[in-house]
Amino acid sequence: MQRHLLNPYQHRQSPIHRFPAAVKLAGAVFFVFAVVLLPHSAWPAYAMCGAALVLVAALSRIPAIQLAGKLLLVEPFAIGIAILSLVQKNGLHVFADMLVKSTLCLFCMVLLSGTTRFTDILGVLRHCRIPPLLVTTLALMHRYLFLLVEETERMLRARKSRTFLRGRLFAWRSSATVISHLFVRSSERAERIYSAMCARGWRT
Amino acid sequence: MNALEIANLSYRYPDGTQALRNLTFSVKEGEIVGVIGPNGAGKSTLFLHLNGLLPQRFGEEETVRVFGLPVSEPNLDEIRAAVGLLFQDPDDQLFCPTVREDVAFGPSQMGISDAEISARVTKALQQVGLSEFEDRTPHHLSRGEKRRICLAGVLACNARILVLDEPTSDLDPMTKRDFRALLRTIESTKMISTHDLEFVAELCSRVILLDKGKIVADGPSLELLSDQSLMIAHGLEVPHIIRHLHPH
Amino acid sequence: MHIPDGFIDAKTAIATGVIATVGLGIALTSVRRTVPSCRIPLIGLAAAFVFAAQMLNFPVAGGTSGHLIGAVLVTVLLGPNAAVLVLSAVLILQCFMFADGGVTALGANIFNMALIAPSVGYGFYTAIRRIAGDGLRSRLFATAFASWCSTVAASIVCAGQLALSGTAAWGVCFTVMTGVHMLIGIGEAFITTLVVAGVARVRPELFFERSQSDLHPRYGELTVYGLLVSLGLCVFVAPFACGWPDGLEKVAAALGFEYKATQSPVFGSPFPEYAVPAVKSAAVSTVIAGCIGIVVAFVLAYLLARFLTPQGKSGAGLKSEDDSCHAAPSA
Repeated sequence: MQRHLLNPYQHRQSPIHRFPAAVKLAGAVFFVFAVVLLPHSAWPAYAMCGAALVLVAALSRIPAIQLAGKLLLVEPFAIGIAILSLVQKNGLHVFADMLVKSTLCLFCMVLLSGTTRFTDILGVLRHCRIPPLLVTTLALMHRYLFLLVEETERMLRARKSRTFLRGRLFAWRSSATVISHLFVRSSERAERIYSAMCARGWRT
Repeated sequence: MNALEIANLSYRYPDGTQALRNLTFSVKEGEIVGVIGPNGAGKSTLFLHLNGLLPQRFGEEETVRVFGLPVSEPNLDEIRAAVGLLFQDPDDQLFCPTVREDVAFGPSQMGISDAEISARVTKALQQVGLSEFEDRTPHHLSRGEKRRICLAGVLACNARILVLDEPTSDLDPMTKRDFRALLRTIESTKMISTHDLEFVAELCSRVILLDKGKIVADGPSLELLSDQSLMIAHGLEVPHIIRHLHPH
Repeated sequence: MHIPDGFIDAKTAIATGVIATVGLGIALTSVRRTVPSCRIPLIGLAAAFVFAAQMLNFPVAGGTSGHLIGAVLVTVLLGPNAAVLVLSAVLILQCFMFADGGVTALGANIFNMALIAPSVGYGFYTAIRRIAGDGLRSRLFATAFASWCSTVAASIVCAGQLALSGTAAWGVCFTVMTGVHMLIGIGEAFITTLVVAGVARVRPELFFERSQSDLHPRYGELTVYGLLVSLGLCVFVAPFACGWPDGLEKVAAALGFEYKATQSPVFGSPFPEYAVPAVKSAAVSTVIAGCIGIVVAFVLAYLLARFLTPQGKSGAGLKSEDDSCHAAPSA
């Protein structure tokens, strides 16, 4: 299982951590849009953006190794598209631009997730009158995410210790079984959560 | 007026199994009652009737009364505020993003002012000894802390009857002791279902023994718990603490 | 299929953002109206479930592994409207907290994976079940084929968005992405069907079934989703598929936009000259390849469903219980 990205928020104290979540969120979104709107090959501008991010990173006291690790984790999909971009007129320029812009934006979002709690972001969304149903869904998802991941790991371990047959097909079948059990258990838990909500007076 | 009055309560699961058969008992205000019995006895099912979560639709017979109010549609809000039900798995009950929001959940359904809600949250967290936990996320809490927060959640509703379903099932001995001490400091009627007979012996003055949906015995805890033949006949045993005090 | 920042340009980001917002808004309204309150927590839990399920690795070959996308799985379990909401929530969380998928690309990612994938999937799923009947085998067959179709459909629209942004040439992008996702789709179909079979074995009443009473309002929503899908195809795919390079240029000129190959970041060139293949022969071979792919997927889906349903169970009518909420007390 890939758990490496699961706990982005660092429980640290730093000037950046103490900023209100709304400011950080707005700043990050603004920064990302600005970078995407920069003209092609605007290298001085790219450098300035990069410098700004490095400054924020330094102030946030997130260990550089952790940041670097997250930046270097590249998705095969992104690599694939990047390679495809070379196959066109001005391909190399497009490729370079894309690489720099996406790295800058990724860096920015990694900083955001490393210095901001999701629960604070939820508060911001509520303030912005985002539909309550969406906010509730996001809140419940985030609350039970880690629990479900732990349940999944437990089930996987239990399966592994009972399976003596190797081979891809068995691995697929057992992973699929874990997923189906996970859904059934999540569904049952959702019913109990509903009961718990009603028990404290929730009426729709 | 009794805190709780149950008269001929029966319940059948959707699949046809009879879960509860003609239960009749009452609980006085301030009593601490332990509900014990083997697995499948119907303890949890009984508790779900105390605040109207079961049955799904109410019939003509008013079989459950809380402080004189029948548990049925028009009274549900009041009853659910008065009956603080703590579920077996605290993760089912701690569904809000932060501790403060969760403890505030109950009061916020009651239509009271924000200032009042804040005050109740602070007081409830103080009562359970977790005042500095307001901004924490539930996921990072220990089992014992989660149970305390759940307790704070129902205290914030000004619950007058605490109904606890297996409150110590996954706690280590020290946490169990602390939780027991905490419960002693809270003055309200309590109904506790548990397999932990030591816990019952130390906390509850009265015990109801449930088996296959029927009340098999109902009386002072020391007397019931030391009745070896009764305990064994219903899949239990005499707790060590009583054996130690009354070696036969 | 998460598109990072910088891979699509501003105009595509805005277009997809608008469509995604509309689609999500419709899903929210519909869920509020049709889903009983006892199932609201399930939507949140389902989102957590999708996230957790996506973390499982399915070994493919030589150290690489794939993972479940889950669009059709959620659709089969919760219905199309809830699926849109669930998948959007997952994408939003992944974007902001896990830097998976760009902020400017959020609209595109939601459009592709939370609107196109479940809509197309649900369409095929319902169609096959209507033809093949109510049994478990028909459900599995429908699930398998719908999963494949939804993956491929999403990849086609994604390719269109990338090409429109000037990130990659359409010919290359479409061929490679669609080709790869036809294979990925097989994996997705296989996993999704296995999971659905697993759930059917344990709690068959958990599947989403359209209840008799609300057939009427449903058509309105289906129409809107259909429109969104069509809009997506028109805006992002049709210009390339129909070989309209001239048409698009004329429109751009008429709207007064500068049309330069390299200067403007906002309106990049989607049609670098040498990369545009001779339209007719390319189109024909594409269509043939596509048809072969569809037929192969169809057959594989049927075979998988047969393999998973032992003799005698294919005709079993699985009626779901009525949609009342039941507390599940454990004694």
